[in-house]
Amino acid sequence: MIRDITIGQYYDVPSVIHRLDPRVKLMGVLIYIVALFLIRNPVLYIVPLVVTIVLYAAAKVPASYFFKGLRGIILLLLFTFVFRMLYTPGDVIASFWIFNITSQGVVKAIQMTARIALMITGAALISYTSTPKALADGLEKAFSCFQRIGIPVHDMAIIVMIAFRFIPIMFEELNLLMDAQAARGAKFSEGNILQKCKGVITLLLPLFMMSVNRSSDLAMAMEARGYSGSHEVSRMYPLRYRTADYVSYVLLALYLAAFIFIRVFL
Amino acid sequence: MIKIDNIVHKYTVWDDENTKNEKVVLDGISLDIPSSTFMAILGPNGSGKSTLAKHLNVLLLPDEGTVWIDGINTADVDKLWDIRSQVGMVFQNPDNQIIGTSVEEDVAFGPENKNMESSKIRTLVESCLKRVGLWQKRKESPTRLSGGQKQRLGTADALAGVPKCIVMDEPTAMLDPEARKEVIRLIHDLNKNEGITIVLITHHTDEVADADQIVLMKEGHIIGKGTPMEIFSNKELLRAAKMDIPPRVELGDKLREAGIPVPESILTEEKMKSEILRLYNETKGKGEATC
Repeated sequence: MIRDITIGQYYDVPSVIHRLDPRVKLMGVLIYIVALFLIRNPVLYIVPLVVTIVLYAAAKVPASYFFKGLRGIILLLLFTFVFRMLYTPGDVIASFWIFNITSQGVVKAIQMTARIALMITGAALISYTSTPKALADGLEKAFSCFQRIGIPVHDMAIIVMIAFRFIPIMFEELNLLMDAQAARGAKFSEGNILQKCKGVITLLLPLFMMSVNRSSDLAMAMEARGYSGSHEVSRMYPLRYRTADYVSYVLLALYLAAFIFIRVFL
Repeated sequence: MIKIDNIVHKYTVWDDENTKNEKVVLDGISLDIPSSTFMAILGPNGSGKSTLAKHLNVLLLPDEGTVWIDGINTADVDKLWDIRSQVGMVFQNPDNQIIGTSVEEDVAFGPENKNMESSKIRTLVESCLKRVGLWQKRKESPTRLSGGQKQRLGTADALAGVPKCIVMDEPTAMLDPEARKEVIRLIHDLNKNEGITIVLITHHTDEVADADQIVLMKEGHIIGKGTPMEIFSNKELLRAAKMDIPPRVELGDKLREAGIPVPESILTEEKMKSEILRLYNETKGKGEATC
């Protein structure tokens, strides 16, 4: 399960999508998701599906990555599908035991499942095509207007970066802790739910302590390298819009407009 | 370069009865570190050497006494960033000092904080990474580097501040022997070729044989100071500081005990090897002559 998390799995190839400004990509994900929620007729899900496949191809990200994001949520998708199908009232088309399958239920089930699956695969593309640093920079720049009203956007961007940096290290430590406790007889995969939860607590506590210790070390290292959190900073690769970025914005606006039009007038 | 004048540093500790106590970690330390020297600070755990290191980068301020960095008092708040750019710091745990998610981003962190121009950052990052030999790996994630490479990256981070001095706080403590050699060789190169003052804090006696000066610390005091030869020939002092006698020095002693006249000044492996070879050839020559 843990290994299925796709966040921060940058796929390093040169492509049009990789070169786009991270702000465009963030806006793209936002519009893509909003458009998904505007769809009422299930047939229309073909459009975002085709768009996603085209974007994956343009980004030169292999098809296996397309499904990788879905693997982690396969259970969620199954649940959504089954429950939507069984618990939506309407015209019964089939029934067995205490369950009734309705035509509305089938439509709803397809709708919800497609929505979640497309949302995950589409959003995963941004983490395949942008480095965590680029994403953090993008977020920082996009929301820099909020800095003026006292929201610490710069600090948040640093937090995002550090989180990306330390998630793999925390997993390493977790494995180490599990090994150390297993060596002293801890059994993580046996027992009932309650016992398993107790096992997790004995892991979380030392993991938490390790993180606190690390944060004090890290704070010192950051300070030693001139980080103060308050003054102006520059970037090695500053974000600058290029023609492709403006074109993408126009395409995104058209995409959104089309879905709003369909929702309102059709 | 650095002048430490009679500093005292105390930590507040809470004991079992939850009462506040003060623990004196540095007790009247005075030390001069001239420019371009390679100074090694040697001492057992808890001797205060890491605390001392943190005073050199203003991560800590002394409770009494003064630290002067290039003529600037570290207590001068306005000069904080000036001092921090004079003295770079490399810490013990490589994972806890790397901030960037790629090698080059990590080196750029310092210059970015200084609000440097983008093109200048790029040239600086390139030169730093080339000096530590990580330019080929600039796009890689730091998690994929080996321990030695991580510590070299830490050194590149320090170099990106264009420092006159680099303080290394037990940089080899978590490394395997090969990686340790790699890091020690790198800092010697920086010291010799670029004249960067190095303060190496360690408890491995075998890493300091090539240092210009060694300072021995114990329980917050400096108990000895001198060249490697002076320190290593004083066995009492080493024992008092609970430090190992480096194997090469011990070998020299044993050889002398056995009547083989190797000079006491030999501290490095290379010299020891050539001296033994020389002596061996000499005796062989004599042996043949008597035959």
